[in-house]
Amino acid sequence: MRRLNPGILTMLPVLAFLLAGFVIPILVVALYSLMPPRTFDLVGNPTFTNYATAFAEGYWRPLMWSALGAAATTLICLVLAWPTARVLVHLAGRWATLVTLLIALPIFISESVRLFGLALFMMPGGGILAGSIDALFGVSIGTILYTRLAALLGLVYIHFPFVLFPLLLGVSLVPKDQVAAARDLGASGWQVFREIEAPLAAPGAAVGALLCFVLSLGANAEMNILGGQAVTVITNAIEQRFNYAQDWPLGAALTVLTILLTAAVVFPVLKRIDVDNLAGR
Amino acid sequence: MATILSTQAVSKRFGDVIALDGVSLQIREGEFFTIVGPSGSGKSTFLRILAGLETPAAGRVHLRNTDITDVPANRRPTCMVFQNLALFSHRTVGQNIEFSQKMKGVPPHERREHALEMMRIVRLPESWYSRRVTHCSGGEQQRVALARALASDPEILFFDEPLSSIDYRLRKILEVEMKDLHRRTGKTFVYITHSLEEAMVMSDRIAIMKAGRIVQTGTPTDIYYRPTNRFVAEFMGEVNVFELANGQIAELGIAVPTGATGCLVVRPEFLRKLNDGERADVRFAATVANDYMLGSRTHYHLDTGKTTLIAEVAAGKAAGIATGAKAEWGFDLSDAAVLDE
Repeated sequence: MRRLNPGILTMLPVLAFLLAGFVIPILVVALYSLMPPRTFDLVGNPTFTNYATAFAEGYWRPLMWSALGAAATTLICLVLAWPTARVLVHLAGRWATLVTLLIALPIFISESVRLFGLALFMMPGGGILAGSIDALFGVSIGTILYTRLAALLGLVYIHFPFVLFPLLLGVSLVPKDQVAAARDLGASGWQVFREIEAPLAAPGAAVGALLCFVLSLGANAEMNILGGQAVTVITNAIEQRFNYAQDWPLGAALTVLTILLTAAVVFPVLKRIDVDNLAGR
Repeated sequence: MATILSTQAVSKRFGDVIALDGVSLQIREGEFFTIVGPSGSGKSTFLRILAGLETPAAGRVHLRNTDITDVPANRRPTCMVFQNLALFSHRTVGQNIEFSQKMKGVPPHERREHALEMMRIVRLPESWYSRRVTHCSGGEQQRVALARALASDPEILFFDEPLSSIDYRLRKILEVEMKDLHRRTGKTFVYITHSLEEAMVMSDRIAIMKAGRIVQTGTPTDIYYRPTNRFVAEFMGEVNVFELANGQIAELGIAVPTGATGCLVVRPEFLRKLNDGERADVRFAATVANDYMLGSRTHYHLDTGKTTLIAEVAAGKAAGIATGAKAEWGFDLSDAAVLDE
């Protein structure tokens, strides 16, 4: 009897897990999105009514806000993380470890706790920032809490490490000699960045950007805690369809649209980056 | 020849380690100048300071009469070929060679023409132009690095041991090509290596570096035949060193009219087997302990009873020399160098 390839055997648990936890639920959601509105079983006549409703009732707006928020978050995080990564790579040694720890530690604290902390900080009147300034200088300041700006700030704050760490790996893989050679051949600081550092660190930057984009697209705590009612994002809308409205098929249709949007961004990027290269193979 | 590049008492330290200890050098326009030293002698640091990739802690660097000590690498009319070549791995051969021109804003078709010309100079086939550098062989990458450096039209080219990781056969070929390239371009080449042999083959002048200092500067002939100290004498492979004490060669107990203490250095090719009645300033009896065939010549290890010496005999002149045979050997003092240390 031929023996089964041990590689396939060791993959079985993961395959079963992915099948039960990922593939089947997505198929169920996809199927639900094709059921008649406000039904709770999977045996109705398939219809595209929910998708038509999604567009007719203006659900493209929360989807757009989610996409815009995610794109803005990714961009801001990249702009902030690149110089940080550069400094950390060149710093090396004990200081780099310390700074890395300081950035990584908050990840171990619940996201909601951190967001409520940020809300307390931004609160008007007796909030930490406004209260301190009032007590110290006798100046009353307003607040950005419960605005889109506050929500964006929260998104950047939460997702910064997800961009920084892959980017750190990417930047650390840029050979110092190639940077020196570029300088020696007459490249200015900006030209070195554009011609050498950016393309060579691109896989790291792309991985970080994807993580950030996908996570921000699905985020809603930032909107609820810091954004108040200022903006409804797609995750809020989906939650409402499933909970309050009890319209599972419409919620499912919105979910499918969100997944399609994510896939449209993720796959083209993934196709272009060489993950093996990033792993140093 | 006019001096193109000079340093005055250049020093550099890394923490507690003194990398360079007051190095002063004059490099002449158009010459092939090589700095030789063992690893850790500071030669790489020195080259990086010359190229502007590192700043000295003390001392000045002059290009002709201009002080360029604080001018960064991208604004110096010099270019470096790195030890690992530092080719841009995400770019093609053509893009690598064109890099310096692209930085200057030269239009694409002009850059391409120029790159192809550089490729002709280093003898790279035109079809390699759009190949990824990572798909080139070691020798081809070497040529791409040369072409890239030449394309920036530098006044001085620096080489940081570019041949050290290449196998012997290819290295020999590239050494010849490098010398040839130097002659054809007429540019000043400043080269560093740990191999004095490599330096001898290519250079007009050589500086020997030890522990952050220059211990001797001279032509290959000077360095080989007239070393000024024992370190230089011993650096170029096998050599016979005799200690001098009380006007005698300590190992042989033979009085020599050098008068000095210190040591006496004799290259292996100057030791010869003496025929009956043949005279030599220094003569001694020795047994041939071993022979090492090196192609055009043979090395013999001679056992004098107190020390082991090396004699080199050209092929065809080894008649009568056999392992185990005792014979009279000798050398003339005119072929020996007397050194203080």
